Amino acid sequence: MTAIDAQERYLSVPDRIRPAVYYEVYSPDGRIRPAWSDFVERLGHVSAEQLTHRSQQAEQLLEENGVTFNVFQEGRQAQRPWSLDLLPLILDAADWERLATGLRQRARLLERIIADCYGARELIRDGTLPPEILFANPGFLRQFVGLHQCGTSMVLCATELGRAPDGEWRVMADRADAPAGEAFALENRIAVSRTIPQELHDPMVQRLAPFFVAMQNTFKSLGRRLSENPRVVLLSPGSRYPYYFEDVYLARYLGYTLAEGADLAVRDDRVFLKTLAGLVPIDVIVSRGVERGIDPLELGGGEPHGIPGLLKVLRQGNVAVANVPGSGLIESPIFMAFLPRLCRRLLGEDLLLPSIATWWCGDPRQLEEVWRRLDELVIKPAFQASGGEEILAGQLDEAGRRELRDRISAQPHQYVAQELICRSALPVFHNGAIGIGHAAVRAFLVADGEDYNVMPGGLVRFAPTPDPMVLSISAGDGSKDLWILGDSPVHPVSLLSDAAKPVVLRRTSAVFPSRVADDLFWFGQSLDRADYLSRLLRSVIDRLTAESAADFPELPWLIRALADQGQVEAGFAIDSFVSLLPTLTEDLPRTVASVEEVRGLAAAVSEMERLASLERLWMSPDTSRKVRETAIAFRASADAGWSGLVDVLEAINGTILDLAAVSGLIHDGMIRGPAWRLLEMGRRIERARNTALLIRSITPDESLIERPVLKAILEVIDCRMTYRARYYDNIQQNAVLDLCLTDETCPRSLAVQLVSLAEHVDALPGEGESLLRTEEKRIVTSALHAVRMLAQEQLEQPPAQGLQELLLDVEDAMGQLSRVITRKYLLHSGIPRQITSGLELPQ
Amino acid sequence: MKYRVEHQTTYVNARPVSVGHNEARLTPRVTARQAVLSHAIQIEPPPSGCTTLTDYFGNTVTQFIFNQGYSTLSISAVNEVSLVAPQDASDPGPNWESLRSELAEHASAESLDAYEFCFESPRCRVAAEFAEYGKASLEPARPLRLVLVDLLDRIHRDFRYDAQATTVTTPVEQVFRQRRGVCQDFAHLMISVLRSCGLAARYVSGYLRTISAPGKPRLVGADASHAWLSVYAGRLGWIDVDPTNRQFTALDHITLAWGRDYTDVAPVKGVYIGGSSPQLQVSVDVRPVEERS
Repeated sequence: MTAIDAQERYLSVPDRIRPAVYYEVYSPDGRIRPAWSDFVERLGHVSAEQLTHRSQQAEQLLEENGVTFNVFQEGRQAQRPWSLDLLPLILDAADWERLATGLRQRARLLERIIADCYGARELIRDGTLPPEILFANPGFLRQFVGLHQCGTSMVLCATELGRAPDGEWRVMADRADAPAGEAFALENRIAVSRTIPQELHDPMVQRLAPFFVAMQNTFKSLGRRLSENPRVVLLSPGSRYPYYFEDVYLARYLGYTLAEGADLAVRDDRVFLKTLAGLVPIDVIVSRGVERGIDPLELGGGEPHGIPGLLKVLRQGNVAVANVPGSGLIESPIFMAFLPRLCRRLLGEDLLLPSIATWWCGDPRQLEEVWRRLDELVIKPAFQASGGEEILAGQLDEAGRRELRDRISAQPHQYVAQELICRSALPVFHNGAIGIGHAAVRAFLVADGEDYNVMPGGLVRFAPTPDPMVLSISAGDGSKDLWILGDSPVHPVSLLSDAAKPVVLRRTSAVFPSRVADDLFWFGQSLDRADYLSRLLRSVIDRLTAESAADFPELPWLIRALADQGQVEAGFAIDSFVSLLPTLTEDLPRTVASVEEVRGLAAAVSEMERLASLERLWMSPDTSRKVRETAIAFRASADAGWSGLVDVLEAINGTILDLAAVSGLIHDGMIRGPAWRLLEMGRRIERARNTALLIRSITPDESLIERPVLKAILEVIDCRMTYRARYYDNIQQNAVLDLCLTDETCPRSLAVQLVSLAEHVDALPGEGESLLRTEEKRIVTSALHAVRMLAQEQLEQPPAQGLQELLLDVEDAMGQLSRVITRKYLLHSGIPRQITSGLELPQ
Repeated sequence: MKYRVEHQTTYVNARPVSVGHNEARLTPRVTARQAVLSHAIQIEPPPSGCTTLTDYFGNTVTQFIFNQGYSTLSISAVNEVSLVAPQDASDPGPNWESLRSELAEHASAESLDAYEFCFESPRCRVAAEFAEYGKASLEPARPLRLVLVDLLDRIHRDFRYDAQATTVTTPVEQVFRQRRGVCQDFAHLMISVLRSCGLAARYVSGYLRTISAPGKPRLVGADASHAWLSVYAGRLGWIDVDPTNRQFTALDHITLAWGRDYTDVAPVKGVYIGGSSPQLQVSVDVRPVEERS
């Protein structure tokens, strides 16, 4: 079947919707609307199979993006709430221009309202607005009064639109409290452009990139007051927030550092980003978190995007925040009941783009109207952004309606009533067939001087019925791209590449937040810990599963090493271990699989996965994908249930290979910048500590190390091949210890870890003021020195005579180094906590 | 009447915090009946930065930051104030219905300002159960002061002071149901009742004199910071009442700050990063100062 049939069958006006709704493609007389005529014609050349295939490709592309940007959600929560439909919504230039003019006027109006409500309050004094609009409004935050006196408050806003049966657009909601969705719109555009069949491309479609350029310019201009070249960060509530994906996507596209509250600090009346190299002053904060959480000092709470002391700096004018906190006020639907009046009062113009008809029940006259038409209306809380409770009075039974009337009568000022609109219908391609959906469009604006720029496009969501949709960006069944046709073919502009212009060469990224450094440092440690535990476990299980475990004299030593690592209970590491072997054999699968064993392999793997997903932005997509796969494979195997040690062995063998692949990807793919360094330092510290601990755990008190034990050491440290190449089967303590400890050509030796740590410590930023060595340099240098000073004889005599002590010192040094680095470079961050809760009790 | 007030707040953290941001409302307000003779706030260790500002409700706020961390934070406020008794204590005030309609119409600047205190706030409710409780005191055409006398009596009769019954976060509905609480709870309760009846009431934080005037019973809540409320009374301005001690305030109550409820006026609040959660110690001493005349 070709799509031309589909078009004939489905793209005609379905009878059931004809009278009640506006149909985007066809006018009531059955003619194709001009904006759609080319598209519908071209759709005729595309087969349904082709469209299905391309849709799958688009989904895959989005899935890939999700994997790239997605964060640790334990694989459960989808970050992108809906599927993408390749068929766009198309508007012609004239239709759009009229809408855009209305959107700009509305944004200017809202801006004026915010400034007045948080400033002079003339609108309340002169009775244009009822005082309840502030006094009864939990969204009116008194801490924000006085922040809106200069410049634009509402830098970004989004408008939720539906097209009424008369063909006119109506505003269903205004968004100004960290409005989201523009990056989803961008992602949709990119995915559609890449996957839509060639036949359907339209050169007249206006590009989105200029809008993002306008955003950049606006942010820059906000910071001009503070700096010639303002530094902008995108403030995100972090990975636990459902739309974190969008934050990451947008930060990457606009080229801003993505920061969380803990990355920023107020010092000396400025806001700083905590980076590895110290504090970097920030001029502009684009906040993606709700305004109520922006400053936990003055507003309470502990939101992950909160910056204690921010409001003070903002009042002093030492930072610009977009949007200025308080802008979210106008999300309260009560404002919609007053907009036409406000528009004439504030702008001296008629409101061009009306809201859906709204009545505030607190006004006796408006309430009368509500009582009269109650059954046709939807009742909403007056002071909550749309999307919360919505009651369709017409759908209630008699008792429900009585209860609703009582609720409204008790506190009429708490409610608004709105008319229901039948949103316009448009074709959707769903499950291989063309059907009908009802659209909601989110339009985006950014301030530009006194006026606003409108994104020539938007986020379209559709639902199978025209019933009121929850107006969050996650609502609806699916989403679409919005095509605005220009008057002539559009020249491509993109932020992604500026082909003709060479850039200034750089070898480092601009800034590297301390939190990222912290995560990567611990990621490195977890990675190496997982690797080491796997090898140690493999050596133990290899022997336990042999015919007669008791025949391996090295087994008790290896088990002791496991106990010293905390993977098994210390009780197993005693001399009479043979009697305990059956218990150990039985117990081991559980302890290996359990993340509750905090020092065990499962915990190390899951910590590694968690940290990698938090910092996906700083690794190659392949690396983070491989980390995720490693963890998923391990977990899947453990969850399936290990019936015996052989199963565990198989899983661990897989994990060892997977981890090697991760190491390889890091080694090959990661830029030798601070991210890589911190990760490497974590790994080296962990490996040095484990090597020292292994040899210490495994060496006898008075005698030389026995041969089987030496063999096991080579196996766990992974130097068997090198050893055999050098010494064949002649296993001697001095040669084994040399290879594992002092040989600076063996990549797994203790010395090599320390050498490389010394190099990394030297390269840490922020040094140079002092001529003497810093604490971390002294720690590493002294450990390396001790290892290098090991004499031939010390490797030849029983380790208890001196070597043990040295190894213990190295372990301590590694612990110390980890603490110093954390304190010095990483740990200025943390979640702010309130001191008052439950404590200050006036009597 | 002159007083010297010493208010010491100490937070002890077992593990030192690395960064701390704090806000204190410890400077007494200047009112028609209260003059501030001197005030000083001493912070130990010395903060990295300290500023004062005036908040939305006109209270003086001291904000201070510790960049270098601390393990023990002590804030000591020493204030001297002088009080005069209300002049119009014998005036019963307008009747409550006329106040209610004055607020509902909010035609004058004063009534518009007062109207702000007629609504729900984070810790006070406007609800049928509170309106119902208030009804018994709202006889038709009763002057406000007599309404308040009756409400104070009933709250005193119906509720028990019990420092164990609630915490700083207990919701006012629960206080209402369990009929027990401390000064903060009684203030929130009475505010909720008055607002639910269409009147305007605000929350006041402050101190009580530690040792009562000769011949008078010892006041409850004198060794810590105290809380009561203020009710809009039209031409009489705002009338302060202390439900904990069943009285109209006169010369024993020193006003620090007011707002919609406790959340607007907590004497000390703050956030910290790192370290362990703090142990709090508070001591308040309010002594009359010899008046040389």
